[in-house]
Amino acid sequence: MRYLVLSVMMIMSLPSFSAAGYREDFAQEFLSKTWAGERIEENACIDCHSSEQMKPAFQDIVDEWKKSWHAQNTIYCQDCHGGDPKDPSVSMTHQRGFVGSPSARQVPEFCGKCHIGILKNYLESGHGKALRATGKGPHCTVCHGSHNVQRANIDIINEQRCAKCHSYERAKVMKQALFLVEKKAGEIEDGIKALRRAGVYPDEQERALFNTQAEFRTLFHTVDVSLVNERTDEFTRKLGAIEKDIQGTFIELRSRKNFSAFLMALFSGMGIVIFLITKTPDK
Amino acid sequence: MWERVKYWMETRIGLDDLVRSQVTDYRVPKNINIFYTLGFVAAAGYLIQVLSGILLLIYYVPHPDHAFKSVQFIMHKVPFGWLFRQMHVVGSNLMIAAIGLHMLTVFAMGNYKRPRELTWIGGALLLFVTIAFGFSGYLLPWTQLSYWATTVVTSIPTAVPVVGDFVAGILRGGDQVTGATLSRFFAFHVSILPPLFMLLVGIHLFLIKRIGISATPFGLHAEEKRPWTEYHKKSHADGYPYYPRFFQMDMLMVMVYLAVMFALITITPNLFFPEEATIPANPFKTPVTVRPEWYLLAPYQMLKIIPNKFLGIIIQLALFLVFLLWPFFDTEKEKNIMKRPLLRGLFLFSFVLWLILMFWGRS
Ligand code: HEC
Ligand code: HEC
Ligand code: HEC
Ligand code: HEC
Ligand code: HEC
Repeated sequence: MRYLVLSVMMIMSLPSFSAAGYREDFAQEFLSKTWAGERIEENACIDCHSSEQMKPAFQDIVDEWKKSWHAQNTIYCQDCHGGDPKDPSVSMTHQRGFVGSPSARQVPEFCGKCHIGILKNYLESGHGKALRATGKGPHCTVCHGSHNVQRANIDIINEQRCAKCHSYERAKVMKQALFLVEKKAGEIEDGIKALRRAGVYPDEQERALFNTQAEFRTLFHTVDVSLVNERTDEFTRKLGAIEKDIQGTFIELRSRKNFSAFLMALFSGMGIVIFLITKTPDK
Repeated sequence: MWERVKYWMETRIGLDDLVRSQVTDYRVPKNINIFYTLGFVAAAGYLIQVLSGILLLIYYVPHPDHAFKSVQFIMHKVPFGWLFRQMHVVGSNLMIAAIGLHMLTVFAMGNYKRPRELTWIGGALLLFVTIAFGFSGYLLPWTQLSYWATTVVTSIPTAVPVVGDFVAGILRGGDQVTGATLSRFFAFHVSILPPLFMLLVGIHLFLIKRIGISATPFGLHAEEKRPWTEYHKKSHADGYPYYPRFFQMDMLMVMVYLAVMFALITITPNLFFPEEATIPANPFKTPVTVRPEWYLLAPYQMLKIIPNKFLGIIIQLALFLVFLLWPFFDTEKEKNIMKRPLLRGLFLFSFVLWLILMFWGRS
């Protein structure tokens, strides 16, 4: 009987030998390919602009963009430049909303479509006014770049960049004014990372930090040192509340640990008691 | 009052007789060992899963937009929600470990042999149902970890020609793991598997009671020597009564199970929650490492290293059948594994192979 079963199974496995090479590419990528990759949409701008025939000056743009924070947040070429990414023959026409490449004076509005609060502060600032008046003020891409835009932080303020048009002294005072709040925000970010390592999903804290930080960084664009100093207290307080929340979560985690340790001791104790009962001789 | 309730019951269902026949007069062999309690431990483990599972069910929402949030709600807002979730998660892993150990020891003691072939098959099916519980429950929190583990495991059937895509489609309810998959797995986890499990447990227990618990292990027994021509219940007239002696052993091991469970929760609360388990599922972002639960790692790794996937699946099916029907393959009368070097070798070989594949799959 069992030889029969064994041989049936042997025969069953025969077709698999004949099916060798079956779906080879499938086998190669099996279980290791990235499923998500398949689902990135076709995009004519990217296809054409990363092809060989693109003129050399433009060739790096797609690669730069791919590294950017915008790309990670699904901001594509057409979200900034307009146009139609579906149909390559008409993608760069005005009919499809293409706006081309902005001139220096147009850049603030170009970016400000989405970063509305920053645009407002920027336009009212010394930098924005100077750009309007003389074209000498720095616009967004001077500080952030246009395609490889990364997450912002105060290291953008450095001698190399800020001393081009005026003394670095001015920039330095600004950096000092930002420092306190940015440092605290950095600490909270570490706290959130620690929470995540502890298995917590720090969604609320993360969102609170993000909002506070965004509001504060918007403030920078006024390049008004006294305004920043004036509101530093307010931001420190807001961040303090988030910090307290994080600490509270850690305390909660510790009390959970104590509780489960108590249960562990309880059941171990009951185990020992039962063990002693089994060892007492029967009457 | 109590006496009257007892009397009322006694006159109607014969309580004394029931207790006598099922508990105090039910005898277990004298030389029984601690490994005989593992089945009871697994059953207790199941009870813990049911109780904690019901509490989770009250707050859980099986929808892709809400599943993750509802689990976070359980972890952070519901009083003691974290405890029940931890118990359920740690318990699911411990239960599989307990059943695995139960089967290993039954195997080593040769207790699957005639007349207990059916009991073995029932037990093996219970192991697979438990794994199905674990696998379906794994997806429910809808995290990066669970989403991608489910994606790789449900893609395994697609290696089978002709019907493969169909089977994967049934599992997922579509081409990808989506909300449809979540609904399916949820229904499977809370309403299809539990009755199936109870049915199998019922059969398993019935067989144990009906056939009589096997007089352990080592050596040849009358029941093995005799040609098997008629039903014969093994009653161990000279053994211990089940209650209190053996019941105490059972409870002792249940306490050990619980102590281990809370030790894990205390010492390594994140054992089953790596970083990916705290990130909501994102179908557009494949995490760096995608791997299934530890108990599926060995078969998963085996599939990965066999170049022809269809062959791999056939081999796994064959191994599954051999495991399930093992009592019919091994018809040797000798129960003592110590006197059977070949079987011992096979046993060790498969066990070590399993461990190697599992750790290999981890890396
Ligand atoms: C069929 C190929 C092709 C497609 C599709 C395409 N482009 Fe272009 N694009 C070009 C070429 C070639 C140039 C360079 C023109 C030149 O010589 O200045 C260019 C130039 C540009 C410029 C610079 C224009 C300027 O005023 O200097 C921008 C911005 C641009 N493309 C954006 C886009 C966007 C956004 C899309 C998708 C909606 C897109 N392109 C789709 C071929 C393409
Ligand atoms: C965050 C908004 C943004 C996105 C997204 C973006 N661009 Fe641009 N792009 C700009 C700005 C601003 C300029 C103006 C020139 C400058 O300052 O570099 C520009 C200029 C260009 C130019 C002209 C460069 C030159 O030197 O004249 C091309 C070509 C271009 N972009 C193509 C692309 C393509 C292709 C993509 C998608 C991969 C893309 N852009 C995505 C903002 C963006
Ligand atoms: C189509 C809308 C859109 C346009 C146009 C746009 N951005 Fe963004 N930008 C986003 C989004 C969405 C994010 C990601 C969310 C976030 O982090 O705030 C982002 C993020 C950023 C960040 C990082 C913010 C952080 O958290 O540190 C910078 C810096 C930035 N953008 C600069 C620019 C500049 C400069 C331009 C113009 C060249 C521009 N953006 C144009 C939508 C846009
Ligand atoms: C493209 C030239 C240019 C660059 C680069 C530049 N600035 Fe300015 N900045 C100006 C101009 C123009 C003004 C306004 C005219 C003035 O007050 O001199 C100004 C004014 C300021 C002021 C005073 C604003 C006020 O209202 O009193 C501060 C602070 C400042 N810049 C900081 C910075 C920082 C920080 C950087 C580097 C991140 C920087 N600037 C880079 C051109 C530049
Ligand atoms: C003078 C240099 C400079 C200019 C010009 C400038 N930024 Fe910034 N931007 C910065 C610096 C520095 C920070 C970070 C401030 C901080 O860390 O406190 C920042 C932060 C940001 C952020 C991040 C806010 C957040 O949510 O974390 C965005 C978005 C941004 N800038 C967009 C813009 C846009 C849009 C423009 C044009 C309207 C612009 N910036 C012009 C220097 C500049």
